[in-house]
Amino acid sequence: MAEQIVSPDLNFVKEVIAAGADSLKKCYQCSTCTVVCEVTPNNKPFPRKEMLYAQWGMKDQLITNPDIWLCHQCSDCTAFCPRGAKPGEVLGAVRKVTIKEYSGPRFMAELTSNPKYALLLFAIPVAIFLVILGAIGHLDLTAISLNENGVIAFPEFIPDIYVDMIMVPTAGFAALVFLLAITKYWSAMAASAGGVGGGDIVNSITGTLIDIFSHKKFSACGVAKDRKVSHLLVFYSFIGLAITTSLGVFYVYGLKWEMPYPQTNILKLIGNASAVGLLVGMTYMITNRMKNQAKAGLGSYFDWLLIVIIFGTCVTGILAEVIRLAKLPVPAYITYFAHLVFIFVLFAYAPFSKMAHMVYRTTAMVFARHIQRD
Amino acid sequence: MEKKYALYICTGCSIGESVNVEKMSTLAKNALKVPVIKSHFALCGKEGVDLIKNDIATEGVNTLILAACSARVKFEEFDFPGCIVERSPIRELAVWTQEPNSPQAQMAAEDYMRMSVVKAQKGDLPEANKVETVKSILVIGGGISGMKAALEAANYGSQVVLVEKEAKLGGFANSLYKKIPTSEYYKEPLIVDTDIESTIKAVESNPNIKVYKSSKVEKSDGMPGAFDVTISTGETSETIKIGSIVLAAGWKPYDAKKLGHLGYGKLKNVVTNIQFEEIAKKGKILRPSDHRPAKKVAFIQCAGQRDANHLPYCSAMCCATALKQAKYVRQDEDAVAMILYKDIRTPGRLEYYYKEAQNDPGVMLTKCEVKGVTEAAYDNVYIEMKDSLLGDVTVEADLVVLATGMVPATLEDPVLNLGYRQGPGLPDLDLFNGFADSNFICFQYETRRTGIFAAGAVRQPMNMSEAQEDATGAALKAIQSNEHSAVGMAVHPRAWDVTFPDAFMTKCTSCKRCTEECPFGAIDEDEKGTPFYKIGRCRRCGTCMGACPERIVSFKDFHVDMIGSMLKGVSVPDDEDQPRIIVLCCENDAYPAIDTVALQHMKIDPAVRFIQLRCLGSVNLVWIADAFSRGIDGIMMLGCKYGDNYQCHMVKGSELANYRLSKVKETLDKLQLEAERVGLVQIAIDDYGNLPKIITDFVDRIKEIGPNPFKGF
Repeated sequence: MAEQIVSPDLNFVKEVIAAGADSLKKCYQCSTCTVVCEVTPNNKPFPRKEMLYAQWGMKDQLITNPDIWLCHQCSDCTAFCPRGAKPGEVLGAVRKVTIKEYSGPRFMAELTSNPKYALLLFAIPVAIFLVILGAIGHLDLTAISLNENGVIAFPEFIPDIYVDMIMVPTAGFAALVFLLAITKYWSAMAASAGGVGGGDIVNSITGTLIDIFSHKKFSACGVAKDRKVSHLLVFYSFIGLAITTSLGVFYVYGLKWEMPYPQTNILKLIGNASAVGLLVGMTYMITNRMKNQAKAGLGSYFDWLLIVIIFGTCVTGILAEVIRLAKLPVPAYITYFAHLVFIFVLFAYAPFSKMAHMVYRTTAMVFARHIQRD
Repeated sequence: MEKKYALYICTGCSIGESVNVEKMSTLAKNALKVPVIKSHFALCGKEGVDLIKNDIATEGVNTLILAACSARVKFEEFDFPGCIVERSPIRELAVWTQEPNSPQAQMAAEDYMRMSVVKAQKGDLPEANKVETVKSILVIGGGISGMKAALEAANYGSQVVLVEKEAKLGGFANSLYKKIPTSEYYKEPLIVDTDIESTIKAVESNPNIKVYKSSKVEKSDGMPGAFDVTISTGETSETIKIGSIVLAAGWKPYDAKKLGHLGYGKLKNVVTNIQFEEIAKKGKILRPSDHRPAKKVAFIQCAGQRDANHLPYCSAMCCATALKQAKYVRQDEDAVAMILYKDIRTPGRLEYYYKEAQNDPGVMLTKCEVKGVTEAAYDNVYIEMKDSLLGDVTVEADLVVLATGMVPATLEDPVLNLGYRQGPGLPDLDLFNGFADSNFICFQYETRRTGIFAAGAVRQPMNMSEAQEDATGAALKAIQSNEHSAVGMAVHPRAWDVTFPDAFMTKCTSCKRCTEECPFGAIDEDEKGTPFYKIGRCRRCGTCMGACPERIVSFKDFHVDMIGSMLKGVSVPDDEDQPRIIVLCCENDAYPAIDTVALQHMKIDPAVRFIQLRCLGSVNLVWIADAFSRGIDGIMMLGCKYGDNYQCHMVKGSELANYRLSKVKETLDKLQLEAERVGLVQIAIDDYGNLPKIITDFVDRIKEIGPNPFKGF
């Protein structure tokens, strides 16, 4: 038999449902979703077929399918769905399952996706940093001295080298996981698509990056059109913060110049601007989600975990700076500690949390462009 | 009775301001010789009605002509028992649809008044034809429909005879493992016990119900109120007097042997939805081939249904049944049910059932066309799909359930075994694929055999809940039929009518046209071939009156001479530019449509005069010949739609009129009159908006032909 034999996988259906697609079974294939979707290609449009694949537990069709990432969860489909099947949310859940499939080790994915481990995610870095503080005898916060200029300086509380000792391997681990994951993902997609053709990969990457940097796809969204602004703010703030971090590394290890830096320094200018941008962007994002809750759905644990991590990182970062400038040493150290915990969480779980979307989505978009899917 | 005439002209509803009532009165007095003529500004008001009542009481008037509004309104106000009442609709036909105070309006008012006077002169007060009747009800079929009908009728107080061909009551419900719950909201559990035993018990213990099991109806003779039904139980048979009949003979599954293309009969693990019930009833879902538990069960919907090669229709119950049976599969939590459908059809509240059942992760559905079914390893089955969203893929199942459809019991067996000249079964079964349905869209359950009402799946494909609603409706109709029969009143649709066709038999030539054409089989023939009426079967449409070449059929208030005389009462203008056209219209749709036109104050060409008939089937060709000989320029027949999707309340009336029209054309040709002067138009009541134009077009056509050369003779 030439055709493929379908074998429904009940466990996979249950897994997708558990991942946040509790509305999945409501779909009755009317195709309103594909009709209203502004970002789907016309040929074999999504999300209708993905809804059916998910209902039938057709795992292979979903986890090798770049389409699930072409969806930007505008939620137009969810808003117009006559059955309340929330295709946008379902695709979100499918993306989560896909991330879990490729990002190893498996227990890390489980840790990140299961709400019952939420506290553990944070307890790990708290423990690590407490051990370091204990080892260098800095557990008594009142005993931390000011720096040579007589101001509060976080390296006095926990020297940069210890921070980086933890953060650099963590980030490296994440990068390695990502690399392995997208390699596997790419070849799975390629196998499923029957090859990738012989196009120019550089062109595909450039084109995709231009799309991403301009947030072109988001412009098509209807119901959640405000997401373009919020996501754009968050996106560019992240880039700003990446530049800030790079400069920081250069100052510390290149110039041997430790924090804090004057507010007029280029690093502070970019960093503060990005922090404010991130705060505004995240606040906007959260309000949008609340506002569109009825139409687009509230989102899953997976969505909210990332929001909490980024928002927490941002707020603790800003507060740490403000409290430091307000010359309140103990609260400043505590906030900085929290900030470090959030950054660890952001990095360490990036390949397993929704943060992974930045890598997976980019990969899938490049793939889709490369096979002329999009 | 000795008639004493009185004419009442109402001047209300702007009649008084639009036509000259004085002139009408003078005409009535001098030309029509009406002794009592009165007018009132609101005849339907208490004062007006009292005026009439007073004349009845003191002057002894008994034949009343009310020149006022349509007989379709104010019938309670103008109900005078013991009197002939003729309603002359001048408000609608002379005032609202004509230019006020025009000569045309005046002429119309006078014509309608004159016709009503003639009608009153020619008519008689009807007397019912009462015969001895019984009020017992025969229910054929002891399934859920039949039992429900029997219980409803018995609870009303009727004596019921229930005939079931099997040894046990219950019908198809007996073979079901579970049923869909009938509660207001569907929630788990979605399958519940059928509880058919309690209904069987209720029937068998009801003192008003006599149950015949393992029995059949051998013969149904007679007529409503007085059927003679012979019931045979094996060796013995018994004839019982019955008032009316509920036919609830149910259905059979379509012969699955014809579904070889879906693997039936070829693959061991392909079963029908009925067989699946039997499998489920035994406990675990075990495959026929090896009795191992089925873990992947595929349901192929519309198996041999909505399919030109098999059943062209939808059996209405299979979608919900498949969802129910999917829940049987899901009693094993590792098993999946895959439903492959063309469309899921779960109308009404069943949509909620669909939603609930679909919520189960192990119930998987997809739209597709099944391309073929082939054998897989381990007695499994491959189902090849196309046009599926899953792609053109193949599903592997370890058990396949085919949704075979319903075939009505009446398809191959007349069941009723009627002793009617027109045959033992219900006519028109072929219009409905053998279902005992009818196109009486306003009157479901009615069949073309008066006093016999169809209910449940023998009437239309339906589920058990719908069948029970049907049964209740049919039982009510059966009760109503008995009440009407007892007082000699038509059963339906003229459910008030006590007139009946009275034939002057000495002039009958036994041509049998009436016996053949009666849509309801009301006329049988004796051994010599002479027709005789079974009045109880008659619906009083007058088709026999239209059919009879000897013109011997009359009703007290409707006969050939009456309409012929009314036609003669119509004015024929001498002016050659003013044609006169008669519209013979059916009382069921056409006349109400005209009333609606009037109610909307739309104008109608002044050339036409409407004459209301019971049905176009009653049109006797002599009227047409008479009208043309008087100088009438054209005749239009306005009746219901006919054909397979007929809307004629008398089934065949307008169709027969059209058939007869082809005959009249030969006669007209001989008279050197153009055949186009006569036309038949089919109209539904909701087409009323087009009516003025239809009429104007016809008038224009007649004007083009030119005046009737017989004018003035």
